[in-house]
Amino acid sequence: MRVVVADDAVILREGLARLLREAGFDVAGLAADGSELLDQVERNHPDVAIVDIRMPPTHTDEGLQAAKAIRQRHPEVGILVLSQHVHARYALELLSAGTEGVGYLLKERVSDLAGLASSVRQVGEGGSVLDPAVVSQLVSRRRLGSDPLEQLTDRERDVLTLMAEGRSNKAIADRLFVTEHTVEKHVKNIFATLRLPPSADDHRRVLAVVTYLNAQ
Amino acid sequence: MTGFDKAERRELNTRLIALGMLGILAGVGAFWVVSHRAVSINEIPTPPVVLLVGWSCIGSGLLSWQARPDNRLGPVMVLTGFAWFASVLEVGNNPAEYTIGTAFQLLFLVGFVYLGLSFPSGRLPTVLDRVLVAATLFLVTVVQLAALLFFDPHSDCDSCAANLLEVHRDDSLAYGLGAFQQIAGLAVIVVAVGLLAVRLVRASRPQRRAVIPVLLTCIVAFAALGASVAADAVDAPHREIYGRVAGYALAVIPVAVLVAFLQRRLARGAVAGLVVELGEPQAAVGLAHALSRTLGDPSLSVGYWFAAESRYVDADGKPVELPEPGGVRMSTVVERGGQPVAVLIHDPALQYNAELIESVCAAAGLTLENERLQAELRARLTELQASRARLVEATDTERRRIERDLHDGTQQRLVSIAISLGLLESKLPAGSAQARPLVHETRESLMAALAELRELTQGIHPTILVERGLPTALDELCRRAALPAHLQLDLDRRLPDQVETAAYFLVSEALTNAAKHSHASEVRVTAAYAGQVLTVEVADDGIGGAAVGRGTGLRGLTDRVEALGATLTVSSPLGRGTTVHAEFPCA
Repeated sequence: MRVVVADDAVILREGLARLLREAGFDVAGLAADGSELLDQVERNHPDVAIVDIRMPPTHTDEGLQAAKAIRQRHPEVGILVLSQHVHARYALELLSAGTEGVGYLLKERVSDLAGLASSVRQVGEGGSVLDPAVVSQLVSRRRLGSDPLEQLTDRERDVLTLMAEGRSNKAIADRLFVTEHTVEKHVKNIFATLRLPPSADDHRRVLAVVTYLNAQ
Repeated sequence: MTGFDKAERRELNTRLIALGMLGILAGVGAFWVVSHRAVSINEIPTPPVVLLVGWSCIGSGLLSWQARPDNRLGPVMVLTGFAWFASVLEVGNNPAEYTIGTAFQLLFLVGFVYLGLSFPSGRLPTVLDRVLVAATLFLVTVVQLAALLFFDPHSDCDSCAANLLEVHRDDSLAYGLGAFQQIAGLAVIVVAVGLLAVRLVRASRPQRRAVIPVLLTCIVAFAALGASVAADAVDAPHREIYGRVAGYALAVIPVAVLVAFLQRRLARGAVAGLVVELGEPQAAVGLAHALSRTLGDPSLSVGYWFAAESRYVDADGKPVELPEPGGVRMSTVVERGGQPVAVLIHDPALQYNAELIESVCAAAGLTLENERLQAELRARLTELQASRARLVEATDTERRRIERDLHDGTQQRLVSIAISLGLLESKLPAGSAQARPLVHETRESLMAALAELRELTQGIHPTILVERGLPTALDELCRRAALPAHLQLDLDRRLPDQVETAAYFLVSEALTNAAKHSHASEVRVTAAYAGQVLTVEVADDGIGGAAVGRGTGLRGLTDRVEALGATLTVSSPLGRGTTVHAEFPCA
């Protein structure tokens, strides 16, 4: 799988590239800011662009803007945004530009080589990946009085969380040591309780779930 | 009156008394001449009018001179009086009297024209004024003398005395010059009356009080003079009426000038009223108002000396701009013991009443000093407020810098170590059963350290606040809160950075306090913007009993909130929860 990496800190850019090569990815290009990243994407046609959210010149959400631009011009390129902060808002902005092949991870997750490799691969294959810290922020209880989330069982909440992280029914089943059929039943229940339209598609349901959670 | 010491004043008084004596003699002489005139012509003023005009000029002139030695109008009036008496000689019985009288016959007119146009400053304000005075002077001297060279009095009056200046009798030339003098004189009078009328209409209120009597009498006198000249030319019936009206009006002009000059004496009653008014406890009206009423200038404003910054401030402590010299406003500094106390910004017309300002300021001295102290206090408060705001701003800048440094330095270094650890882990040979858990553990600790650092940097400077605004930042804050926090937002716009930051930290601190001390089960957070005020409230359902003084968290927030001119109230009745309420003005 072919990737490009964008980070303004050379130490992280190079480290990340090394890590990815180690995991068997073809690192086709490196970029230090948003416009360089767009150039690299044009030139190298990667499967996935891995982008640091905070880059020059503004040092705010440059990476996110670049990601949105790539989304628009090259919808076939997967985007994995890395951030040092947990901002559910940014994840949502990213997802609303299209849930296929997007991911939002905390930067330090890259230290788990296997996890990083699986996330990049998932994004490259058109899946969605949301950092567990972001999801837990979304799932946190905020509504006073009757909160539909309160009506979910603990197991259903676990499934919801994993769904929001972008995992497929099979992955959820593996994680929770249950059968895929059981997971399907939980998912149906969750959608009914939260009054969400049922969605068979793993990718699209991420947005539905995340939007629902964010609106709470 | 300034610039005249006692010796000079005594010398001036002596001179004025001498001139006064001379004036009395001149009057008596003129009276005698008119009473014994050879001819009786209707237009020639009656002896009482002669005396009235002349003595009015000289008397008022001398008194004005004494009251305002630095104003030209006193001497001008005295000279006009003498010129008036000289003109009377025209009716004298012998050639010398006749010739002198005729030569100076109209000179007094220059004095009156100058008086009318230059009042109250004694200086001619515009080029047109100067042209009018110069034209008058030309007509009554050069043209008059030129006509005299060719004029034979016997051409229309057999009993008249001879003209000593006659060099060659040329009746048509003499009458021609006379006609020119009359027509040009009439034109000057018309323009002068117009000019004075415009001035009368345009005068500011305080000006009007001083100038109305003078301008009005001048207008009446000049108009009557003009009418008299015109009536002469067309031989109108009852033409002597105009001359008489002009005579009386001319007599009133100097008196009007004198009255205006002496107004400070007349205004003593007003000053006394001011003293009484200021003496009353808790005077309902402000000092500036009382002063403006006493001085008759509704536009008057007062600035107080703020010594710390060497400038003037208003009663609220805000800086006061002094008007440019020569502008439409004028300023007068009030001093006490050599130190400036206040400045009055007023209509320039009041400068001709400097003595009134002086006595008013003397009367208001203590009150002015008192108000100055209050204004200074307010100015210092304003300054304090500004310095507090600057302090908060500096803190924010510093926080931003620290967050940036942590992000670019420590955080990145730690992440790069995590990357190395990940690499290391992947390189470990399959059988390293002892090293693998150790590396894994190290990586986990590193993750925890990064998570803590993340919390810390967000607490120092919340980037989401700058990047996405208060609603998103508050939403995130509530999601991260240790207690269930319900957020209610009614805010659809970005507010000034400082307000957003203060509101954010307020909610953050209140949420932390609620989690730590309140034993609450839930918190309601509201942020609403309406009528240019952002209202932020954090209310928990805990045990209450919180106070701003306890702990530095809320105390520091109070400073931050108040630096923005906002208010912070904490209500925390025992057993009924704690509510932190803040209102930020965002004009």
